[in-house]
Amino acid sequence: MKFRCERDVLAEALGAAGRAATGRTGSLPVLQGIRLELKGDRLTVTGSDLELTVQYELTVDGQQDGGMVVPKLTSDIVKSLGDPKVELLAEGEEVTVAAGRSRFTIRPWAYDDYPRVGSTTASSVTLPAADFIDALRQVVRAASTDEQKPQLTGVLLAAEAGGLRLVATDSYRLAVRDLAGTTVLGTDQQVLVPARALQEVIRLASGSGELTLRLGERDATFEVASARVTTRLIDQPFPNYRQLMPQPAPNVLTIDKDAFTDALRRVRLLARDTIPVRLHLGGPTLRLEAISNDRGTVSEEVDAQFDGTELTIAFNAEYLASGIDACAGEQVTLSTQRESNRPAVLRGLGTDDYFYLLMPQKV
Amino acid sequence: MTASDHPVQRCILHVDMDAFYVSVELLRHPELRGQPVVVGGTGGRGVVAAASYEARRFGVYSAMPSSVARRLCPHAVFLPGDHERYAEVSREVFDVFREFSPLVEGISLDEGFLDVTGARRLLGDGVVIGHEVRARVLERVGLTCSVGVAPNKFLAKLGSESAKPKVGPDGIRPGVGVFEVEPGRELEFLHPLPVEALWGVGPSTLSKLQRLGVATVGDLAALGEDVIVGALGRANGRHLAQLARGEDVRRVEPDRAVKSVGHEETFASDLYERSDVWREIVRLSDGVASRLRRQGLGARTITLKIRFSTFETVSRSVTLPSAVFSAPAITAAVAPLLDTIDAGQGVRLVGVSGSGLGVPTEQLTLFEEADVVSPAAWNSASSALDDIRGRFGQAAIGPASAMRGGAVRPVRGGEQQWGPVEDASGGSP
Repeated sequence: MKFRCERDVLAEALGAAGRAATGRTGSLPVLQGIRLELKGDRLTVTGSDLELTVQYELTVDGQQDGGMVVPKLTSDIVKSLGDPKVELLAEGEEVTVAAGRSRFTIRPWAYDDYPRVGSTTASSVTLPAADFIDALRQVVRAASTDEQKPQLTGVLLAAEAGGLRLVATDSYRLAVRDLAGTTVLGTDQQVLVPARALQEVIRLASGSGELTLRLGERDATFEVASARVTTRLIDQPFPNYRQLMPQPAPNVLTIDKDAFTDALRRVRLLARDTIPVRLHLGGPTLRLEAISNDRGTVSEEVDAQFDGTELTIAFNAEYLASGIDACAGEQVTLSTQRESNRPAVLRGLGTDDYFYLLMPQKV
Repeated sequence: MTASDHPVQRCILHVDMDAFYVSVELLRHPELRGQPVVVGGTGGRGVVAAASYEARRFGVYSAMPSSVARRLCPHAVFLPGDHERYAEVSREVFDVFREFSPLVEGISLDEGFLDVTGARRLLGDGVVIGHEVRARVLERVGLTCSVGVAPNKFLAKLGSESAKPKVGPDGIRPGVGVFEVEPGRELEFLHPLPVEALWGVGPSTLSKLQRLGVATVGDLAALGEDVIVGALGRANGRHLAQLARGEDVRRVEPDRAVKSVGHEETFASDLYERSDVWREIVRLSDGVASRLRRQGLGARTITLKIRFSTFETVSRSVTLPSAVFSAPAITAAVAPLLDTIDAGQGVRLVGVSGSGLGVPTEQLTLFEEADVVSPAAWNSASSALDDIRGRFGQAAIGPASAMRGGAVRPVRGGEQQWGPVEDASGGSP
């Protein structure tokens, strides 16, 4: 196998595939590597840990068909090269990476050991990438990263009222987005897709016009631009989020999104780790406050409109900031109940297709 | 800061432990009670750190050379000082203080100020709180103390002096325990006192004042500030004039936040079984959790310390996503740490500590988890535990997995600092 290509294009492909390659030495050590397969001028770059597979297709100047599995280190090597043209050559027990006056000879993994990954037979649906990626971005942030609770590490895609609903929760917050008119699932069908895979989809989809979705029984595939992300679905029941759908709220704060974000950014300098941000609601200003035992205190006021009764409520500042960021529009609303231990709901003013529900902190 | 910053009359307590070092020694040498006991350097060049009231009758006082003390009171029992032990007991005492107010300022190991202005509505007036402090210190560490109650620090300190046991040639008279300098009657209390009772009146100032015919605080106050400043200079003069009027606006400055809360224990005989080590960890964790809660704190970093019979010592830490303050949360954090340690070579000491302290907050959750006891449930169980201990004492309740010989052995700071007791399974007094 031998080909020549652009350094930056190859580096991007190796980087994306490398993120999916496993870091663990399990039963299949070859999965620590990145698989390259050349047919004519088509190079397919694959990284996988069997749960998640990222495949990247690119056009190169192919000189000799074949395949190899290179160590993840190759990604760093290619990225660091000084010359923008790179040549890769697999011969015997060696892979040579050459560019300009640099020449690396590295030891590959055994090509034949690499399992068959990333294949899917499910039928495809193609939809505009921008809307779907926006929706993913709004929701995936609420998914958990705690592997002890696998059912919370995914985003639920469900058919809902003729459209598609995306839901994620880490048990502290719940994000729900409805995509009207998008039908990718049969009635009452739902799948739980690992958030990790979707983050990779968001990353790879930037700038691409269309996204092709294949939802199978056990896995899902997302094709964007020249990349394909295949993931095993989470085979666990998603928590009953419907019982958490927002109740009518007696208190509603309406506030400029940027002003709220800026104030919160400053308050977060102290409201870190376990220190919450306290919101004092009531009257035409919102007061944000954080009290840190060993660092000090911060208080900031932002103009806002408030309907309801006075309330002080505390949140994990990072969760709150993440929710505000997820809301569309120039103004956001924060709806609360009269008690400081009940969930609050963030929405973009005038939008009803998304909400971010957040449990407060007890102080 | 001026007095007008305090629209509310402040209520300050000065708590002074009675013959602290000696009293701590008497706890482990009860047979010496009633005898003259002197703590301090026992060598030829040592000085007296503390003397029991019985020894004071013979004119022995702190900072006196031990050789002089021996001459004055040859039959006294001389004990070497054990600062580490006193510091431990002191921490326990201050933990008690902090149960009454967050505004606690330590002056030394055995005395401190408490601003209980805000606690009065809940706990009663200063005198009531003072008696409660004495009772709780006695219950918790077995020591007596004297309390001065006053509108400011300076008068509170003079008050505690008046509350102390008095030693005269005719014997020891017990003190009143709590002495209040009543608001409005400060000068009545202050002016008859000898002028050297004021802070800042040392030998040199005293002789200057004596030349002016000043013997009591009242004499000094009568001079007027200008005269005093003329005699003593501006800074010292104004300061003393203020004190002579009974004024002191200094605030009670809480001590810098504690950095860690921990307990460790050396065993009478080395432990070889993981289950034995685990039982000690559960017990120590319970003690740490209890102290964290008493201070209204949680710990994000939990450290396990193990010393082997070879004296080799290892520490393992874990930092948690949020601050914990319940024993189950602490033991859950320690369990994986213990797994990395082989107890088979004999464990001599186990320590558990929490650091990264902060006011605990609890992230509320959306779902009830049926199969796991939620942190919130443990937290309310823990506060029930605190209530029971508050009413019936430390030994009233403890984790079942920490029991041995059918008895609950609560952790008390410093209990084993001097090494193992002879029968570790005997339970605590």
